[in-house]
Order: sequence, then structure tokens, then C-alpha cells
Amino acid sequence: MTAEPLRIANCSGFYGDRFSAAREMLEGGPIDILTGDYLAELTMLILWKTGGYARTFVRQMEDVLALALERGVKVVSNAGGLDPAGCAEAVRALNTGARVAHIEGDDLRDRFPDAVTANAYLGAFGIAEALDRDADVVVCPRVTDASLVVGPAAWRHGWKSEDWDALAGAVVAGHVLECGAHATGGNFAFFQEVPELEHPGFPIAEVAADGSCVITKHPGTGGLVSVETVTAQLLYEIEGPAYLGPDVIARFDTIRLAQVGPDRVGIDGAQGERPLPTLKVAINELGGYRNSITLVLTGLDIEAKASLVRRTLAPRLAEIEGSEWRLRRCGDEAQLTLTVKDREEAKVGRAFSAAVVELALSSYPGFYATGPPGDASPFGIYRAEYVPAESVEQRVVM
Amino acid sequence: MKAPLGTLYGARSGDKGGDANVGVWARSDPAYGWLEGFLTVERFRELVPEAAELEVRRYELPNLRALNFVVVGLLGEGVAASTRPDPQAKSLGEYLRARIVDLPEDLLP
Repeated sequence: MTAEPLRIANCSGFYGDRFSAAREMLEGGPIDILTGDYLAELTMLILWKTGGYARTFVRQMEDVLALALERGVKVVSNAGGLDPAGCAEAVRALNTGARVAHIEGDDLRDRFPDAVTANAYLGAFGIAEALDRDADVVVCPRVTDASLVVGPAAWRHGWKSEDWDALAGAVVAGHVLECGAHATGGNFAFFQEVPELEHPGFPIAEVAADGSCVITKHPGTGGLVSVETVTAQLLYEIEGPAYLGPDVIARFDTIRLAQVGPDRVGIDGAQGERPLPTLKVAINELGGYRNSITLVLTGLDIEAKASLVRRTLAPRLAEIEGSEWRLRRCGDEAQLTLTVKDREEAKVGRAFSAAVVELALSSYPGFYATGPPGDASPFGIYRAEYVPAESVEQRVVM
Repeated sequence: MKAPLGTLYGARSGDKGGDANVGVWARSDPAYGWLEGFLTVERFRELVPEAAELEVRRYELPNLRALNFVVVGLLGEGVAASTRPDPQAKSLGEYLRARIVDLPEDLLP
């Protein structure tokens, strides 16, 4: 074991996050690992619609991979999405000479035939193995967000699967990093206390051999790393004090936070427990098609205007499987939104929105819509399932 | 004294499938002590009418001076299917912070 902490940077909290963050993290100061999270529950469905993997990651690599290699920085991301092999191939095609590995085994569509996507949340040890085999870039599919940090830390510090406390500490670090600038003052309740929030730096975790860490950011960047900005991110999208994961259950009620310097927050004390014998599977099914249109109601008699529209469209809505009205009032104005859903695309497509627009000259005074009539779009229904952990095999492909 | 909850407390909210969560943290130990007694599940439901009919689970994280609330089913069948204007409950925390409550005078700055 080496005593040096591993400096793990994050450059993406979601598919669509700041493009230049990869370069900023490489140029802004010394780091060992560059990670990026591109996958949310919704993203898997978006990737199913648009095909495969997070394409911005490949463009970011085109921009910075040569620089990363030159500095000895390894890249670990879950941009592989539904097609990690295709993503890895696209990174190889950049011809930087980087050794690119990808991970497989999360895709369980064969067990859930009705699903359009079904992905088990994999743990960190595939990433550690890929790094052990000297990969420069590790392209992951649906690993847990925290695994992007746990994997490199386990690799560097030689952790084994039963080093629960160290793994738990790294899970905490990973949870802090996974949403990018969420940890450095972005989206922060007391945002007026955050300096230069126009351009906050992305976060870095310096993960020590015992799993404790210091959260920080590059010098000279905007934003703030304080006990409160880190606390805010620790509370994001959690359930109880037991934070479940495929490698360890991290006890969030055991950790201690302390400001150990300007823009430096230490986290220690994390305790880990044996993980559950099941793995969570994120499942998206195609729910049908939906469309939505928003009308603006202005001035007098808002309720009566809304009521007229509802009565007018009631016969048409009777032929559609699902519909919902929302009236949101704001001062002298209100927005009346109608959302419709149906398994048949034609019933809620352009013909539907055109039928609403037809009212333009024949309904309430001051009629206008917030946008032109649109097409229906497919929507997904998300659910979680659980499968025996030993039934899922993680594979590293170099 | 009547003041927004957010005078003394931060919050962050988000989604997990069809459930929403909102974590609320205190800026000082005494403020956490008060929050722990004040922000019960019943009070949370009063302050967030959307949650009134839903199962709400509360968790305590005194080491973070924080409470976490999970509102079960607030988002229906998940972000893609939800017709809520904010399908991922990103603004729920800020909504909660804007509720006017009776804050103890000695905690106020």
C-alpha cells in the first residue's frame, strides 16, 4: 500500500454537463484519475432512443486524451451506456495510442424481455481489474456512479472485497463527486455565499489508503468547497443512513466532515458493511407516446376560460387513454397545460395538437399557446428490480 | 418569529425512480436540535401539500446535522413518465425552504 492519496477528479455530473470540464480538470492542477458520470435513470432511456453511448465523452476525449496520456492521467467513465464496446471502439479510433478497456455484464435485457433497457448496477472491481491490466481509459456501462471513484481507489490502494470501511469511505467520496459542481457550490441553497458561481470548478477527491478523503477543487476556480456544500451533495438522492451499493453498504451516519483548509473538506470515519446478496437493476419499459400543449390565459375570468377549454376538448380526450390538466396561476396570467398519453402514437400526435390549435379564433379571448403544435414522443416507465448478485458476471475487455 | 424555514436551513432534493427525496440540513448544532423536534413527518406533509396523501419516510443524520425525507410515489412512474412540471423534484427543497414557519428567536442571526 502506498501512503499517497489518489487524486480523483470529476468532469461530468450528467450527459450534457459542461463540455470543457475535462480540459479544465487536466489543465487546472495535478490529478491522477479523471472520471465522468454520464448516466442517470432517464439517460438510459435517452440512449436507447438515440443509440448506444454518450457521444460527448468521445468528443471530450478527442479534445484531451493526448494531454491525459502525456500527464499520466487515467480516464474512467460510464459513458459506455448501452454500448460500452462501441464507445471504447470510438475512443480507440482517435488513434492516441491509449490502451482502452471496457466493461460488460450489466445488460440484462434477456431476463426482462418487456424492457427496452435493463441494466444491473455493477460494482467497482471491474474498473480496478482494468487498471491493473494497464488500461489508460476504462469505458463502463451501468456501474454505480460511486464505482467510478471506488474502482481507481481500490486499484491504487490494493483493497480487497472485504475491506468494507475503506470501500465505504471511497463510496462516500464517489457520491460527493458524481454530480460534478453539485459539490462545489452549484445548486447550493445559500448560493449567494458562493464566490464566482458563474463558473464553479469541478470537484476532486484525494482518497487515502484507509478510505478517508479530502474533497477539493483546483486553485483559482470559482465555487466553494465547504462542509455545507459537501453536506448538500451527500444528501442528494439518498434514502436512509445505509447507502446501498454492490460492493459495500456505506453508513452515512458514521462519517465526519471537517473544513481542513480553504476549499478543502476532510471526510473520515466511514464504516462499511457486507453488501446485500442482490443487485439492483434499472429497468425502462416503453410506456407509450405522449404530447403536451400549454395555453396562456390572461386577465379576467381565468377559471371560466380554463373551464371552456376543458369542455371543448372533453369529447376528444374521451378517445385518449390518459390525459391530465394543470393550471398554474402567476399574477394576471395562468398557464393551462394539457398532457395526453396513449399507446397509439397517432392518437396523441400532431393531429391532437392541431385540434387544440384549431381553437385559436373560436374559444376564449386572448388565446395563445406557448409553442407551435408538436409531435408525440415516446415515454418510458422506470422501475427497479433485484437479481442475485452472483448471477451477474462483470467482464473486462481490453 | 415568522420567517422562511430557509433562513436557517439548507435543502437539496432529487429523484429515485418514482420517489422524491429532500435532505434538509441545519447551519448550527442548536438549529439542528430544533429541527429534529419541529420537522416531523406530519409537519412536512402540512408544509408540502403535494405530499399530504403520500407515504413520507424520515431519516435522521445527526452527524451531518440533517434530516432526509423520502416522498414515496411523488413522481409517479419516474421522470420520463411524470407529468409534473418538475419531474425530478429538483425544486422541492427550495419550495420547502420558502415555507413560513415559527422559528425560535434565539436561533435567528
